[in-house]
Amino acid sequence: MLGLLLKKLHFQRKNQNSKKASVQHSSPICLSKNLDENLQLLKEALGQSSDVIIRDMKISSNSNVDAAIIYIDGLVDRNLVNHDILQPLMLNLQLIKENVSQNHSSLIDFIKSSVLTVGQIIVADDIDRVISDVLAGHTAILVEGVTQALLIDAKGWKSRSLEEAKNELAIRGPRIGFNETLRTNTALLRRIIRDPRLTIESLQIGERSKTEIAIVYIKGIIKDSLIDEIEQRLKRISADAILDVGYIEQYIEDNPLSVFSTIGNSERPDVTAARVLEGRAAILVDGSPFALTVPMLFIEGFQSPEDYYARPHYASFLRWIRFLAFALSVYLPAIYVALMSFHQELLPSPLLITVAAAKEGIPLPVGIEAIFMIILFEILREAGLRMPRTLGQAVSIVGALVIGQSAVSAGLVGAPMVVVLATTAIASFVAPSQADLGALLRILVVIVAGFLGLFGVVIISVEILSYLASLRSLGVPYLSPVTPLDIRSLKDTFIRAPLWAMDSRPASLDPNDTRRQSPDQMPQAPKTKSGKRERQ
Amino acid sequence: MKRRLCSKISAVILLIILSVLLSGCWDSIEMNKLSIVSGLGWDINPDTGEVTLTYQSIIPSQIKSPSGTSGGGEQKGIGTLQTIQLDHSTGSSPYDALNRYTQHGSRIPFYQHTQIYAFGKDGAEKGIYGFLDTIARNPVSRPNVLMVVSEKKASDILEIQSGMESIQAFGMAAEIKLSAEYSKYPAVTNLEFSNRLMSKTTAPIATMVGTFEENGAEGKKIQKIRITGTAVFKEDKMIGELNERESSGLLWTIDKIKKGFVILPEASLEIVKAKSKIVPELQNDKIKITVQIDEESNLLEYKGHQNMTTDILQGLEKDQAKEIESQVMTAVEKSFSLNADVFGFGEAVHRKYKKEWKDLKPRWNEIYPRIEVAVKVKTHLNEIGDVNKALMKH
Repeated sequence: MLGLLLKKLHFQRKNQNSKKASVQHSSPICLSKNLDENLQLLKEALGQSSDVIIRDMKISSNSNVDAAIIYIDGLVDRNLVNHDILQPLMLNLQLIKENVSQNHSSLIDFIKSSVLTVGQIIVADDIDRVISDVLAGHTAILVEGVTQALLIDAKGWKSRSLEEAKNELAIRGPRIGFNETLRTNTALLRRIIRDPRLTIESLQIGERSKTEIAIVYIKGIIKDSLIDEIEQRLKRISADAILDVGYIEQYIEDNPLSVFSTIGNSERPDVTAARVLEGRAAILVDGSPFALTVPMLFIEGFQSPEDYYARPHYASFLRWIRFLAFALSVYLPAIYVALMSFHQELLPSPLLITVAAAKEGIPLPVGIEAIFMIILFEILREAGLRMPRTLGQAVSIVGALVIGQSAVSAGLVGAPMVVVLATTAIASFVAPSQADLGALLRILVVIVAGFLGLFGVVIISVEILSYLASLRSLGVPYLSPVTPLDIRSLKDTFIRAPLWAMDSRPASLDPNDTRRQSPDQMPQAPKTKSGKRERQ
Repeated sequence: MKRRLCSKISAVILLIILSVLLSGCWDSIEMNKLSIVSGLGWDINPDTGEVTLTYQSIIPSQIKSPSGTSGGGEQKGIGTLQTIQLDHSTGSSPYDALNRYTQHGSRIPFYQHTQIYAFGKDGAEKGIYGFLDTIARNPVSRPNVLMVVSEKKASDILEIQSGMESIQAFGMAAEIKLSAEYSKYPAVTNLEFSNRLMSKTTAPIATMVGTFEENGAEGKKIQKIRITGTAVFKEDKMIGELNERESSGLLWTIDKIKKGFVILPEASLEIVKAKSKIVPELQNDKIKITVQIDEESNLLEYKGHQNMTTDILQGLEKDQAKEIESQVMTAVEKSFSLNADVFGFGEAVHRKYKKEWKDLKPRWNEIYPRIEVAVKVKTHLNEIGDVNKALMKH
């Protein structure tokens, strides 16, 4: 079955590849000297869309040179275009000497170097480049008799302002989250890491969306081959559109059919920066308030930004709470089912009697009961999530109360099962990034427990663990540093060691520069000549 | 190549799914198809030799749950039998009886949570080997079930509600464990019983339980159970019993004193720490056993109306030592008269004199009553409870 699915997927991929090849091999069209011809080409390419603005004008001292600017209304900052592009071109250019204006090719250099008071200007001679940049929000200037176009970065559009990260909350630590504008997001990262070696590489992916992608990493820290690998995987993508980082994630995964996510994501600049500083690369996509980080280790699902801002003891304790909660959310219903239908002798006698009393008169076998309740819970959760926000809470509360309470009093579901499910549900929210994974594993383990009891639970756990150990995230073992064991990196797994003790970057990422800080930084009280005086 | 791999993989997946689905859940039993047996009784008909098993099973729907949605038996007080149900089945052997249970039971009996194995006195005197053999062979029986001998029939003590627990057998087990914790009577699990049985010289013991009547509310007579002594077995047959004092002496000797009280005519003492050791000595074919007891206690009450002095404290220590010694000696005398080595003296000799033991073992029955026993008690009275000045003087 799985094999058939794989084959189908493979076939489709091949088809796409061949199509892509045929599209890419058309040669670029250069700009001609004739302005009208160029404008005609652009109009054909951009169509008759109402948001495409083509503004003709005459520049130079005696207004004898035809020129035009082209931009997309709404993507550019109108003030900037009016004051810093149109005004200098139409007014200031008249004041300059005539000999410059006679020579068209030197005219465009002159405009670029001395007239326009804007930052980024690109000179292009390829009409495709002009079209794509105009669509990205650049303003193009075309001049009669010149085979080059000036592409001015005057982007300016409405975007959501920066807000608090909503899904990765931390009580202590920065609040800000990414927004949908790529440039803002890279700026947020740049503001945290002012290292000149912080590199932001850009790519365009998407046949139609032409989405800007940025790979962010620190040269000198990250393993070089890792960057090559990421670039290679990104360049292989040939999709219609990239609407979110989730698209990218699915195209570059090591194990695309696995339920385990091997690509990390975060909506917090501080988390992304921390991962980049450890020797990972971040992938940002224009239009998505999330950053992907690769490689991802399994342990990252249990690390919270607050772990590093709070003091180490409590942070380590919370790590264990998260491990426990994840284990509970996967195993609790399964263990309950196994104990209730196979191993009644394992419960302490008073507990067994209480549970037996609650189970009396329940018509369903406990395994069916568990699956019924799990699915009911998932339905409630999804309904609460998808309903309009004002209705959502009411639905989930009413649903839970009505269904939970009345199912028990009607004798359809045992009260202990509701307790088990409620505990499971709460536990699954402790590590939210693992919640979807937990839901799938939970159902799998419950089914196995219903057939084989604790024996099955043990077998499926061994299967899951060995499968986890076989996973890779861009070549890095998913379970490292636990297996393969790297004792030095364990400082940030089961415990969170104090920051001054974490001298080296995670070795499993194989960074170029392993040293994070100078060692022996444990803070100490100032030494006085006699210890006694200090105590007084 | 790829096609073959795919078909192989799908064959394996199909096999896994089929093996799970076809085998089904063969070992699974739903909770509400089980009858949890809390106590198991065993009686023998002296005339026919037939075995009667008494099952005390829990009725789950009658257990009062805190929310009151199930059960809801507000009127059910102590003395009623609604949380448990008694079933009897009779057969030529324990398993024959067990087998006949299915003739009248609606659920599968579940023995893993059994608390009590109760034996009728008549049956115990005839020998309980048949029952012990059955439970030793059965994988579902647990080694920590308490062994109890009823003064009359086993079913008598299993049907009387006792203690504060809602399940009768749990209540009885709790009573026995409490009395063992306060060092009154031993609590004997079936593992300990079997170990004693297997040692050949050591006599197995069990807790003796009897019934008594009490005046309850509205002039009703309420039946209750209480522990009356320690049953002594010779091999698998019960031959006699130890009373309260003798049971205490037994516990002192076999190092089973945890906490409890020593009651003297003039004072009561609370045992804080106690340790004992059996030291055998073999001299010219004569065995001398020294029981060394180390004890530490607090003063709880004193009837002397005097100011406490060191002399009085030392006197109390001596009296206490004497009392403990006399408890041990009465137990020893009783065991000599029964000729049952309840203390495990034989095992102590065996451990120390391995070579000589081969010669002693076959004659143990003759040797045992002639053993010379000495008791050495060291007591220490803590100064806790030591009120210097008497509250009221004579």
